[in-house]
Amino acid sequence: MRRVYVIGSALTKVGRHFNKGYKELASEVIDKAINESGLESVDLVIVANMLSDSILDQLDISTILMQNLGMTKVKVLRVETGESSGLAALEVAWTAIKSEAAENVLVIGVEKATEYPTYKINKVYSKVLDYETETIRNITPPDYAALIMKAYLRKYGLKREDIVEWPIKMHENASRNPYAQLNFKVNHEKVLNSMIISDPIRLLDTFPIGDGAAAIVLTSSKESGRSKAEPVELVYTSSAVSIQVHLRDDLTKLPATAEVVSDLRMKFNEKIINEAAIELHDSYSIYAYLLIEELGLAARGEAPEVVNELEFINVSGGLKARGHPLGATGVYQVAELHKLMTSGLAGRRFDGKYAIAHSMSGPDYNARVALLQRVI
Amino acid sequence: MRYSIPKFWRRRGGYYQILLTRCRACGRIAYFTYVKCPYCGSGDVELIRSSGRGVVEEYTISYYRIEGAEEYLPRIIALIKLSEGVRVAGELVDVDPSEVSEGMEVEAVLRILSSDDPHGLIYYGLKFTPIIKDS
Repeated sequence: MRRVYVIGSALTKVGRHFNKGYKELASEVIDKAINESGLESVDLVIVANMLSDSILDQLDISTILMQNLGMTKVKVLRVETGESSGLAALEVAWTAIKSEAAENVLVIGVEKATEYPTYKINKVYSKVLDYETETIRNITPPDYAALIMKAYLRKYGLKREDIVEWPIKMHENASRNPYAQLNFKVNHEKVLNSMIISDPIRLLDTFPIGDGAAAIVLTSSKESGRSKAEPVELVYTSSAVSIQVHLRDDLTKLPATAEVVSDLRMKFNEKIINEAAIELHDSYSIYAYLLIEELGLAARGEAPEVVNELEFINVSGGLKARGHPLGATGVYQVAELHKLMTSGLAGRRFDGKYAIAHSMSGPDYNARVALLQRVI
Repeated sequence: MRYSIPKFWRRRGGYYQILLTRCRACGRIAYFTYVKCPYCGSGDVELIRSSGRGVVEEYTISYYRIEGAEEYLPRIIALIKLSEGVRVAGELVDVDPSEVSEGMEVEAVLRILSSDDPHGLIYYGLKFTPIIKDS
């Protein structure tokens, strides 16, 4: 069976890039990633983007981007699965190489989320939920996160102040990451006194709105380029879909994530998750706690006790503080893990064998994982 | 993209009354009008009308500003368990946020959800209001 390797990665600092459009942001990371890979060209380009039709008034963004960058000798497509679009693009790329439909694939994640005032972006972002049953009835992602946080606190007899460690840890990590949007530190008081978004979710429990672009170069052979970066194998990708929040028997569980975790455990060894460096989808801090439990890193209700013991989890600062350029986030996660395992990220290097990127859309409406493995 | 009348009109049954999807295959009932059972995927489903009454299980006071519904802040978003035993998420109205509590009995009421802009469509749908008991 063919193998898939990451041989180049690049990312821009997430932020409010008012002076740059999506073409400029994408161009920068494409040049860097291709240059790092040592390849002359790629045969397939996959663009992960969530909001080009809503925000940029642009359909077929992948074609238009290639036209603008003088890259018309490639196959190109766009992938969109809400907030997890980035990992979905990786999944398609992995499948294309595995199935011998492509040799060298460039995956680009790009999002321009700051083109409009926040209340307009809030509305389009809320469309990751079911528009006909949820969004149109003014139900939004942070509202669900709030209901889920209350259910979690109630179920395990916890207080709001028992779950403030996550954002503190994320801001600490982001303060060392040059690509992070929020590189300042916060403390208990700041988190608990920050503005209420959807009670008990506060501003410092949520991700900032930001633009960003990241790129990954994948290939079928680790010797195919003259890569300047140490190759890392993309061993596996997986995804699952769950039911809507109001249909769930237990709000404190994330069914789609549970399924991809179970899939990983079945196909690889049981300990793989415990040994891996992980980037997980903490769009709201409560999800980090639930994800830690779904990943088996803590027993149910005990995630708050282990947060500070987990060393290589969201070294980037996570969605919370690195930022969440929506459709690009999954590509950021894999680019960050590639750097963490090779040249280093945020002043740290991970010497372990495995790394896992986890993304989801909305309250776990879909969940996706990508498993990376050091080439021995 | 605004002003699509058919998109909203098509679903009016589910917006102006609480319709539930009952699955004859797995026996489960779910809020909203699904084409197939969201639990088991069976197409052997029927629509039943809910009493529109239920109790608040969980709620949040939301200050999250969204275009078209800016004036309805803060919104009270609740997860309500209907008398038929199924949950629905929706807005609570006609109640001060400080007076909302878990276990509060509520019933569905027709209200404006949002509007496109001063000259656009106005979307109506169901929200929930506390049941006032005769003393």
